[in-house]
Amino acid sequence: MGTIVAIASREVKRLRHGFGGSSRPLVMGVLVGALLISYLAFRQGFVLTRGIYRVGVAPDGPRIQDDRFLSSVISPPRGYEMVSDGSVDLYVDGEHVTVGDKERSRNAAGALKRSLERQELSRISSEYALDLAFPLRIEVNYLPSPLEGAGVTTGPSLAELVRAFGETEAEPGADRAESPPGGTGQAGPDTSRATSRTDAAVREQLSEMQSGTGGGLGEIEMEFAADKEIIIPSLMQPPIPFAQVIVAFFYVLPVCFISVFFTSSFMTEKTDRRIGVLLSAPVTPVQIIIGKMLPYISFSLLSVTVITILMKGNLPLALAIFLPVVLFIFSVYLIVPLLYRTFRDTTFMSMAAVSAITGYLVFPALFSGINDFAYMSPLTLAVKMYRDEPFGLREYLFATAPMAMLFFLSMYFATRMLNEEYLMGFRSLYRKILDAIYLALNRSRPYLSVTLLSLASLPLVYMIQLVILALATNIPFAYALGALLLAGATVEEAAKSVGIVTLIENRIVDSTRQILALSLLSSLGFLIGEKALLFLSLSVVSESDLSKAVLSSGGVLVPLAAHFAFTSLACLLTRRIGTRHYPLAILASSVAHGAYNLVILGVLA
Amino acid sequence: MTPFLAMVRRELRSVLHEKTIMIAVLIQLFLASFSSIIIMGLVSYYDPESIGLNALTSIRAGVIGDTGTALARYLEAANVQPTIFASPDAAEYAFRTGRIDTIVHLPDEESGIVDMQLYLPESESRSTVILMMLQRPLKEYENHLREKRGVHVRYTDIAGKPSTSYEFLYSSIIPILMFFPAFVAGSMAVDSVAEELEHHTLDTLWSAPVSLTSIFGSKVAAALVLAVIQCIAWIGLLRVNRIHLEHRGLVLLLAVLVAGILSVAAAFIASYFKDRERSQFMYSLFMLIATGVSYFLDSSPISLMTRLATGDYYTGIANLTGYLALMVGLLVLFLTQTRRLIGLKS
Repeated sequence: MGTIVAIASREVKRLRHGFGGSSRPLVMGVLVGALLISYLAFRQGFVLTRGIYRVGVAPDGPRIQDDRFLSSVISPPRGYEMVSDGSVDLYVDGEHVTVGDKERSRNAAGALKRSLERQELSRISSEYALDLAFPLRIEVNYLPSPLEGAGVTTGPSLAELVRAFGETEAEPGADRAESPPGGTGQAGPDTSRATSRTDAAVREQLSEMQSGTGGGLGEIEMEFAADKEIIIPSLMQPPIPFAQVIVAFFYVLPVCFISVFFTSSFMTEKTDRRIGVLLSAPVTPVQIIIGKMLPYISFSLLSVTVITILMKGNLPLALAIFLPVVLFIFSVYLIVPLLYRTFRDTTFMSMAAVSAITGYLVFPALFSGINDFAYMSPLTLAVKMYRDEPFGLREYLFATAPMAMLFFLSMYFATRMLNEEYLMGFRSLYRKILDAIYLALNRSRPYLSVTLLSLASLPLVYMIQLVILALATNIPFAYALGALLLAGATVEEAAKSVGIVTLIENRIVDSTRQILALSLLSSLGFLIGEKALLFLSLSVVSESDLSKAVLSSGGVLVPLAAHFAFTSLACLLTRRIGTRHYPLAILASSVAHGAYNLVILGVLA
Repeated sequence: MTPFLAMVRRELRSVLHEKTIMIAVLIQLFLASFSSIIIMGLVSYYDPESIGLNALTSIRAGVIGDTGTALARYLEAANVQPTIFASPDAAEYAFRTGRIDTIVHLPDEESGIVDMQLYLPESESRSTVILMMLQRPLKEYENHLREKRGVHVRYTDIAGKPSTSYEFLYSSIIPILMFFPAFVAGSMAVDSVAEELEHHTLDTLWSAPVSLTSIFGSKVAAALVLAVIQCIAWIGLLRVNRIHLEHRGLVLLLAVLVAGILSVAAAFIASYFKDRERSQFMYSLFMLIATGVSYFLDSSPISLMTRLATGDYYTGIANLTGYLALMVGLLVLFLTQTRRLIGLKS
């Protein structure tokens, strides 16, 4: 423990030293400037669509109150001319709107329609009594879903669990009373008139519409998504969680920003040739890594805390959600500098990491509420937290468990890679990855190592497959299935065989019997992990046929035999054609595996 | 000039050799395919009709109440099959047995305030989808009720396309895709300048008959060449995906100018700080500031890109001259001041 703290304080000292001296005022000034500017831009509600359409309005036409339109008053004959020569997209003459024939003009018309509809609502609400302007009020009630297992929020609500623990403020919890009546369905709708109550709802939603800029970024506080049990059709806002996703993204941003120092930390040790000295000292690689990571993880958790307090969120819950996320981000940034050969390498790999991480975290969260796949990202949980909606322990584990597991996996790999010979070598990236896997195996106990490697690689395989799955939802089902099965099979085959192949390459194993035994063990390890994860994921993502196709395969013996067959195919083939052509062997076994999956699904039979 | 070109080639070769550029391209493909997911997400929230949600899924609604006829007509038009039930009990039974997805309970009268009851399944994703599909027919029914009360809502019949995905594509995705190579170019410039300074290889290069200007100029030029190639590839890919860019040449020019400005600025930063760690950090901060400041300008690179790509009538080459001047100015300043900058202690 003392050693870890010593390494951590050495790391902090290194940072302080880097930004000390004559450059400090400059750095501080720039940092403050950056914060100020981003704050100002955020206050303005960062609208990128400002002024993208041009519209001409007749002198007696409506005033267009929408940032997207640059409008000018033009008298009729000239206005129609300008529409036809394309210098304005639209021309509004009284109640009549003329639309240009370009793509942007047609979209401008769609945008104007929405915008004027809103203005019209404001107009009629001021010109007419409320019961005439908004004659339809809809009260929403919830009934238990008829299909079993379709519900998402059947488990214990984690928010409630944490709340029961915590001493957090009572205000967000107070208005949770109108959550769906979870009780037995008494569908006998009671038709008591509650006019005053619905009037209040109309006024509230009306003022919300008038204050909002349309995108919904203006209101970030929790009221934004408060339960609206009274719906006024024309005032209905799309339930887009944009504002919450942006808030959730703020959590990730500082972590990505400081990561450059963490990655550099290993690199400078390497360029200054100090890593050898450090490694020869009586400290273990684990201590070095944890020590170096400690300041950054502490900073990240601090920033999570600060953001949560500023945004008035639930602190224990936020920490529970973001700790795995922070660990996940650092597990990626831990591997990057260890694989690095040149500066550019690190930059590009970090960039790849940033975009993959943000993609993985942010995009699924946009779908929260409409697709259960949203739960693959923990940010969805944060969105739920800020909307004051409950989620269960299963959803929490579905989102965070693979991340936590990945962290431990990469920690283990990093401890094996942290040796002078490996770090100083300049080899191709592919080579470096294979070497890292070889280092991770215990050469004196190849059988156990291979089994555990397959088991441990599952979170990674699983995350990659989820990404593939998410990407494939874009393509029509028929094409998606084929591509998906092949891509999914490739990832699996690579994960199962790569350990064995490095053993073959380094002549630890050679005989066919050994390879077959290793293939069997590798398949077994993989299958155990697969079944465990399957149990978790199917309970959350039950609705998608695609997910069943990828993640499940029924039974135990048949899939084990299949896994064994494909893995031994890949490994034996690699021995035959040489490890240089290992990707070819993977391709062969993946095609076989994909075909097998199709047969199982009954497509090819 | 020849040693300059030789050095540009050397830079490019090292990038190709390390295959790092492949990673960069991979990232961008990743971003692009994810961005189509965002578009789908946005559209399914804002314009469920435009992706044919109503055509893909049909839902069955139970309607209780006699006055349902006007509503039933709107529901049918939106691909929601209405079934009329006489009593709540019958409707609830149908819901329980899975024959209908939602229940709409209308009061007996259409006069006064119409208090409707809507019953949705508890499953969140189901009820959201149902609500999104019901939105349009309910709005139409609301307008129908308004007309009956003598309230006329104008502009309900403008014929236009739902604009959400168009706006998102041209105001966010295309600027991101076209400026990402510029961002990469800046990062590359930081790295290659910092690497020479940190490894003290500059002294060796210096002893060869090349000027400092051409050493650093070649680094910026190499970064720029890669940015140009990536931008061209992007424009091609967008075309394959049937996303049309107006003023393609100017779009490319703007992207290249921004790449130029960023790489020169990045080289500036790296020459002053002289190590990768601090330079990259300051470069990221600089990017943040530049984006923030440009947001407050009327013709920021992002909005200029949007206007060029959507074919704004009044936007053309004249709008780019400012950026051209900025790039040339920065370049001259950098090339004349490098020696002093490197001499400064950071």
